[in-house]
Amino acid sequence: MQPLANITPLKPAGAIEVRNVGQIFRTTTQDVVALEDVSFDVKPGRFVVLVGPSGCGKSTLLMMMAGLRQQTSGTITISGAPIPEPDPNRVGVVFQEASLFPWLTAEENVEFPLALRRVARNERRAKARDALKLVGLDGFGKRHPHELSGGMKQRVSIARGLVQDPPVLLMDEPFAALDEQTRMTMGDELLRIWAATGKTVVFVTHSLTEAVYLADEVIVMSPRPGRIVDHLQVSLPRPRTYEMLSGDAFGSLRDRIWRHIRKSA
Amino acid sequence: MRGLGVKAARIAIVVALFAIWEILSRTGLVNPRLLPSAFDTLATLGDLLQRASVRKDLAVTATEVVTAFALAVPVGALIGFLIAENRYFADVAKPLLFFAFSIPKSIFLPMFILVFGVGFAQKVGFGFFSTIFIVIMSTTTAVESVKVEHLTVARSYGATPMQTAFRVYLPSMLPVLLEALRISMIFNLTGVILAEMYASRDGIGHQIATWGENFQMKQLLAGVVMIAVIAIAFNELVRWVETRCSHWRT
Repeated sequence: MQPLANITPLKPAGAIEVRNVGQIFRTTTQDVVALEDVSFDVKPGRFVVLVGPSGCGKSTLLMMMAGLRQQTSGTITISGAPIPEPDPNRVGVVFQEASLFPWLTAEENVEFPLALRRVARNERRAKARDALKLVGLDGFGKRHPHELSGGMKQRVSIARGLVQDPPVLLMDEPFAALDEQTRMTMGDELLRIWAATGKTVVFVTHSLTEAVYLADEVIVMSPRPGRIVDHLQVSLPRPRTYEMLSGDAFGSLRDRIWRHIRKSA
Repeated sequence: MRGLGVKAARIAIVVALFAIWEILSRTGLVNPRLLPSAFDTLATLGDLLQRASVRKDLAVTATEVVTAFALAVPVGALIGFLIAENRYFADVAKPLLFFAFSIPKSIFLPMFILVFGVGFAQKVGFGFFSTIFIVIMSTTTAVESVKVEHLTVARSYGATPMQTAFRVYLPSMLPVLLEALRISMIFNLTGVILAEMYASRDGIGHQIATWGENFQMKQLLAGVVMIAVIAIAFNELVRWVETRCSHWRT
């Protein structure tokens, strides 16, 4: 009989597994434990939010899931395989503000990942147009970033993350620099795009309201060392509405996260 | 409309300067032997440009300037790039570069003559020496103007080092580099012409020095106008490219 241990079960596209991940930053004077024994699963198509105070390592963790940084210990798999380096076919990343190239138009920014892979110009343009249409920027393709508002810039970033149609979209505080109203609108827009595409989304934020409003699941992290202190399911119905913000269910979820964060701050 | 008004005002100032020059000379307020009239100077300039010897001098100077520039810019850019990309080099070299940059380069000219003799190598060498420090410093500034966020984006989409160089570094640095090119040329031209005026057998700088020594004021001023026009033309050309390449810089 052959042992079965070597056979890896096939994981569906978009599944994420984080197992016992740790990160230690070595400086000349001391070792700083940035992440300690972090484990969780994300099922395909789920919207998961990582929330926690600054210094809890949530952005670091996201960068590891993007293959932009390597953990000191533990494993991370995306669609069943580890991610030792960035793989745009599996993972799209949306960064904080100012990540668009100012010398390119919106369309060219969205085309950028395709241009790197030498996709033919016509195909590139067509895909970029589709992606811009999806994020509600039809007709803005020829503008440069400095001619777009903060919210529009982040829409372009999302379109760039989606243009290669990866099953996973990682978002690192994408709306942090936006004003409150734009931020709410962009949240609704993101949920619409997510519903339309069925992507797995992992979203990092420090806003509790944003976390509960967007998520299927919220993972709460504490700082120094960064570890998971709670993993809660948000069972509020979809589509989410502005009225839910003042409801009891929303409030109690928000309070539960706040209690964790207050304890660790 | 406003742009037009500004342009008109600019032209008016230049015309007025020439008019004042003409009047000062014609009325004898300034001795016309010291300051020949603007018209006479421009007429002399026309004559000089017809002369084969002057054309040869211009060609000599142009060759020197272009050679010095073509050497100093890539070498300086390479050094600047290496310094900026390596934190340790940057920490060590940057203050030293500032020291070197602050020393007037002209005091080294006699040494260039002793080492290279009087001729092409001495003039090109001094032009190179006058230019390279500003190129190095500007390149480090240009490299530092590349945003880390942009490099991360490129990496997250799987850019190769070559793609990162051409699609992120180059466009990020271009506006600063073009400005550097423009300013470097001012240093380069100054270096070469100074070398020609100090010790040389040919070149337009040598001619201007000779006209000065012989009290040929018309020729001297014509030479000044000639070099001014050439320098301004190059400067404006690069500035034009600059505005086309940096429209996104707000």
